Amino acid sequence: MALIQIAEPGESTTAHQHRLAVGIDLGTTNSLVASVRSGDVNTLPDPDGQHLLPSVVHYGEDGVAVGAKAQQFSITDPLNTIVSVKRFMGRGIEDIASKDAHYSYDFAETESTVPRIKTRTGDVSAIEVSAEILKTLKRRAVETLGDELNGAVITVPAYFDDAQRQATKDAAKLADIKVLRLLNEPTAAAVAYGLDTGNEGVIAVYDLGGGTFDISILRLNKGVFEVLATGGDSSLGGDDFDYEIAQWIIAQANISNTDTAATKRSIMQQARIAKEALAEAESIEINIDVEGGQWQGVLDRSVLKELLTPLVKRTLMSCRRALRDADIDKADIKEVVMVGGSTRTLLVREMVAEFFECELLTSIDPDKVVATGAALQADVLAGNKPDDEMLLLDVIPLSLGIETMGGLVEKIIYRNTAIPVAKAQDFTTYKDGQTAMAVHVLQGERELVSDSRSLARFELRGFPPQVAGAARIRVTFQVDADGLLIVSAREENSGVEASIDVKPSYGLSDAEIESMLRESIDFAEDDMHLRSLREQQVDAERVIEALDAALAVDAEQLLSQEERSNIMVARQALVDVKDQNDKEQIKQSIKQLEVVCDEYVARRMNSNIKNAMQGHSIEEYASDSEAEES
Amino acid sequence: MAKDILTSNFFELFDLPVSYDVDLTKIQQQYMELQKQVHPDKFANGSDQEKRLSMQQTSWINEAQATLKDSVLRASYLLKLKGMDFSLENETTMDAVFLMSQLEMREKMQHVKEQDDPLTALDLMAKEIKNTTDEMMQGFADSYQTEKFDDAREWIRKLQFLKKAKSEVNTLMADIEDELMR
Repeated sequence: MALIQIAEPGESTTAHQHRLAVGIDLGTTNSLVASVRSGDVNTLPDPDGQHLLPSVVHYGEDGVAVGAKAQQFSITDPLNTIVSVKRFMGRGIEDIASKDAHYSYDFAETESTVPRIKTRTGDVSAIEVSAEILKTLKRRAVETLGDELNGAVITVPAYFDDAQRQATKDAAKLADIKVLRLLNEPTAAAVAYGLDTGNEGVIAVYDLGGGTFDISILRLNKGVFEVLATGGDSSLGGDDFDYEIAQWIIAQANISNTDTAATKRSIMQQARIAKEALAEAESIEINIDVEGGQWQGVLDRSVLKELLTPLVKRTLMSCRRALRDADIDKADIKEVVMVGGSTRTLLVREMVAEFFECELLTSIDPDKVVATGAALQADVLAGNKPDDEMLLLDVIPLSLGIETMGGLVEKIIYRNTAIPVAKAQDFTTYKDGQTAMAVHVLQGERELVSDSRSLARFELRGFPPQVAGAARIRVTFQVDADGLLIVSAREENSGVEASIDVKPSYGLSDAEIESMLRESIDFAEDDMHLRSLREQQVDAERVIEALDAALAVDAEQLLSQEERSNIMVARQALVDVKDQNDKEQIKQSIKQLEVVCDEYVARRMNSNIKNAMQGHSIEEYASDSEAEES
Repeated sequence: MAKDILTSNFFELFDLPVSYDVDLTKIQQQYMELQKQVHPDKFANGSDQEKRLSMQQTSWINEAQATLKDSVLRASYLLKLKGMDFSLENETTMDAVFLMSQLEMREKMQHVKEQDDPLTALDLMAKEIKNTTDEMMQGFADSYQTEKFDDAREWIRKLQFLKKAKSEVNTLMADIEDELMR
């Protein structure tokens, strides 16, 4: 219940144990895990000293391999070796067919809305493949740090829509990782830089990864990172650079038969090697096996420039739009933080510097900067730095709307609105006695339903029958701090809460997730039962401890005698069951206690805010926190 | 339920007098202070109930900040506090001269893509809209100040048009940028 977390400003909370929390950068090409240890933030290497885990999963004869071990099979066994899976997260089969034609897998026929790739060990979704990568990183963290994981901050491209974010969270669930927060990658990068240098002012973060592009405009002020606007393209990245180069090679070498997955992969790999080499060299020789011999050619920087300029221009158009959304002049941007492996490409640096006409920050390894920032936030969220002032305020990247008559979208929450955000919309019935209705939620900027991304269809049921037009159904669209949508509905005349069936357009249903969890070997039943019992017991202890600490501080002022004794009765009920082996009972008792404390918690929060807002001036805060540090 | 935050009006919440003129710096400062108290990141390890409360309160604070910062939203909110709870979408001005000028603006927008440099033309239009908006905001402020609330309401009806026009200019710019990207 963590009542103690809202202790009075200037008063320190009870010291608690250091909780192990990590930051995870789940990337298209590479993934990393980082953590804060005794004040220092570091990415964690594997036993061979490698920090980057290639985001590749191989489903082999004798089990699943992840990372470099999987990459070896990329060309010899392409159909069972999944690369760049992030591109498929939260996507339907038709997206993949149109946008990612250069990835060649066998997709299984399935009734689920989530595409499944055929492998020799069975059909897998992008979520399960990502979960394998997450499990590997989790294992690395636990082995390196020698402790149980309290939770993780997992980064996502700022431009990820609801379905893509949900898919990422589902992958974490399958990997048995508690997600403290989904953090936008550019924001994470700003954290990594901002805290180091004590920056103030407006900055841009240009993040070009393997498969995604993000631009964010942020205002930094005394530890607060406020995202003003964000934009990008969730399917544009270094892979597309490779693809352009590969097309050039195919044309130059006159390769006619590129049908096999192995040929495609091998040319793509050559393309990537050439691209990376040109960051150092002026030109590079390429050798390719073709039918009846070898083709040899030279790629130089000027040809590369020709090939890549249109792609980089696309990113700059997104930058323009983000600046406009933020209502910020290009001249007000102090610095541009460069993130993502693809910003190593010289042409990208040149064109970005020319566009923003300011300094580029490249001092932190662009591959590691996101994981580093995520680890810093994870440390704060886990509660290891109760006095830390750092706060990240983010926005929703794409507008949310609902389908109205004639296939049009009515926007309800506009892009770049600060999250969390809630908007209510009233609907009515059009037939006598109608007791259910459907709401189709879409995301995107376009006006036609057919041009927008379908997120889900919500079926609202169970409101009392009335004559047509009499019912007032208030639907609330709540976007949480992870950028995920929660819909609730209520008939206002009767006060009846409608029940909601969610049909995600491109996501897993709860039932599918559950069955995946059951199948997963990491969740052998006994283990799972024991673990969740222990979790409940730890929760119970934490709740009691927090409650006692809070009561000692302000029970006198905030509670009547009767309220207090109600709380004590519920507290005792929890104490009585917590050491027994009935996890449901403990859960119930915690819930009971929380219900009884509902009002108390609300009063505490309000009284804290009152104290904070009225009792002190801003200046006093600054001097208070300085005094504490000395 | 948290009574104070969720039932305060936006001005009270930000410790401001109820007025059309607001101190934007103070809004920003109060916003940061409030966020530091209630933001969901402060309750990452909290109970479901605290998380829910924190999410509701932060949503309300965000809504308040967005309303107070935006002049048109702030103006309609002021009238709402005066008990004029009208739905703007269903009201329109009858001022024929104003409506004509809006029609002309629409015409221009429709043909902007045929111009040599549509982005610059749109930039100009955006500036024009902004100037008219500023004038009308002043009109609202005067009417509100002198308690001529029906006049104030008429200003808001017109300002709605301008707001719509501005967002259409932005959409057009985005379309043109999209085309340039390809």
